[in-house]
Amino acid sequence: MPVTFTFGEMLSARSVIGSTLAELGDEYQNLWVLTPDIGATVIEFRDKFPDRFVDVGLAEQACVGIAAGLAYDGNIPVVSGMLPFLSMRALEQIRTDACYPNLPVKIIGTHGGLVGNGGSTHYAVEDLALMCALTNMTVTSIGDPLMVGEVIRQSMTMQGPLYIRLAVGKKDRVLYEPGQHEVRIGKGIVAAEGTDATIFTHGTTVAQALDAVAELAKDGHSVRVVDMFTLKPVDEELIVRCAAETGGRFVVLEDHLAYGGLATRISDVVTDHGLTLTAFERLGIPQVYAGFGNDEELRNKHGYGLEATIAATRRVLAAQA
Amino acid sequence: MSTQTEPVGARLSVTELEDRAFELREKLLHLCGTYEGAVHIGGDLSSADILTALFSYGMHVDPTNISNPERDRFVLSKGHAAVCMYIAMAIRGFFSYDEIVETYGQLDSAYGMHPCKVQLPGVECSTGSLGHGLPLAVGMALSARNRGDDHRVFCLLGDGETGEGSVWEAVMAARSLELGNVVAFIDRNRQLMTSFAEERIVFEPYPDKWRAFGWNVVEINGHDMSQLVAAIDALPAADSNRPTVVICETVKGKGVDFMEHNLAWHAGSLGAADLQRAMAALEATRTKESF
Repeated sequence: MPVTFTFGEMLSARSVIGSTLAELGDEYQNLWVLTPDIGATVIEFRDKFPDRFVDVGLAEQACVGIAAGLAYDGNIPVVSGMLPFLSMRALEQIRTDACYPNLPVKIIGTHGGLVGNGGSTHYAVEDLALMCALTNMTVTSIGDPLMVGEVIRQSMTMQGPLYIRLAVGKKDRVLYEPGQHEVRIGKGIVAAEGTDATIFTHGTTVAQALDAVAELAKDGHSVRVVDMFTLKPVDEELIVRCAAETGGRFVVLEDHLAYGGLATRISDVVTDHGLTLTAFERLGIPQVYAGFGNDEELRNKHGYGLEATIAATRRVLAAQA
Repeated sequence: MSTQTEPVGARLSVTELEDRAFELREKLLHLCGTYEGAVHIGGDLSSADILTALFSYGMHVDPTNISNPERDRFVLSKGHAAVCMYIAMAIRGFFSYDEIVETYGQLDSAYGMHPCKVQLPGVECSTGSLGHGLPLAVGMALSARNRGDDHRVFCLLGDGETGEGSVWEAVMAARSLELGNVVAFIDRNRQLMTSFAEERIVFEPYPDKWRAFGWNVVEINGHDMSQLVAAIDALPAADSNRPTVVICETVKGKGVDFMEHNLAWHAGSLGAADLQRAMAALEATRTKESF
């Protein structure tokens, strides 16, 4: 079933994953879907291609290892599950069995960030730091639900492993009109134009950054939003350009540990390129086990909600060059 | 079931296989005496007969066509026995032993302490971290099953590494997926790196554990070539629905008396005098009736 949607409304990224994989399964007879008991997302694929669907039960390590075994034999395995478990319980399998031999194993999962109200066992907050550390791994974090489908489609011809991070994936705001932006792995998307400062973000907080710059525009501020959906390889050229074009004023906003994720990637690029910034602020999860609450409550509590984003951006805008 | 791809060349007799296993041990010791660093000689020697039986008898593999899709696959889950596998494969015609012994462990060598598929395409996969091999084998077997291929996927594990939970995840998966084309060989040498199995970690009732998980269990002496050959000959068809485990009772350090049952020889290197002593010990096993 093709996915229908209306711009600005809510759409389930999970349904996009399901329908995209079911569609690609025809074209790619070597496409497999594996899951450790988190199969709801991929029911469409399972029903259409039962012989290429594997649910191993609660066994993340075997799930990733089996995926690597399939890939060694020329298949394209997609592992779908919850990221707090895939990224840590199966970390060594991802690293040694998929990344070391550079196999096209794709890890797609939900619960990236303080989302879903499951408590700290069920929030993946360190995952991007872990995945970015792995040689050969391409790391993405996607907010716009339709983009997930596009990235999966592009990944079919990619060499090497890929990590795709989503929030809960049940109700995601459609951020972009189809065709509005070129979606290319490794290239950031300028989600909102602006000249006074740049907010770099990814995943579920792109929507929040867009809300923040709409608010700031009321005061005449022109703030750019970059959806840096690929964290590795990060779009260095775009970072350098934003430094030049937006007064060296950067805010990095992410639903991940404030140290180790995109902010770290960007500060590495700033250092490596010898850029001089006017101001740099990072908004993300502090070193705490975050507790319970809904997504918005947790972001507010831990200092990277909408108000905090607006306030940080104001500070960056006010900084003296 | 369609016919298996026949191995290249005539099948070897038990005596010929025993000769190859002896040659493998000689070459292992020679390499161990040549290479400056430590070699996992204990677990190499316990695996030598199993690897000989697999590469020179049991598996349908062709050194002249390493990417033949119909070949049997081999996963060395106990990756630290890499050098034993390299030499067993060299004896089968895959690699040059001279190249192995001249470059082993050196900068840019394809032959390292643990096998690397990227550097040595002749091996099926990169292993070394224990507990990873059986899931890989299950994935390869699933792929074969899906394509309707009837080759098997063999996987050699050490008994010690079956302490890893990931092994049992794959054991459950192979049974659930009804993969009769998965054949695990366990090198049951009853030694871990720093302790003896059963003393610190209780594995027994070991075969029963595999039986309880629904596998077809075969128990043999892993140094008796005729038993190895018989176990291979009796494997259920690849398109059957139960995976098989061949639990091979072995001795770590087998063939060199001062290394046998000796924790000090998990890994080590041999000086000139030790090499001579080891070779003499190995030679003496030739004359023993019940090696």
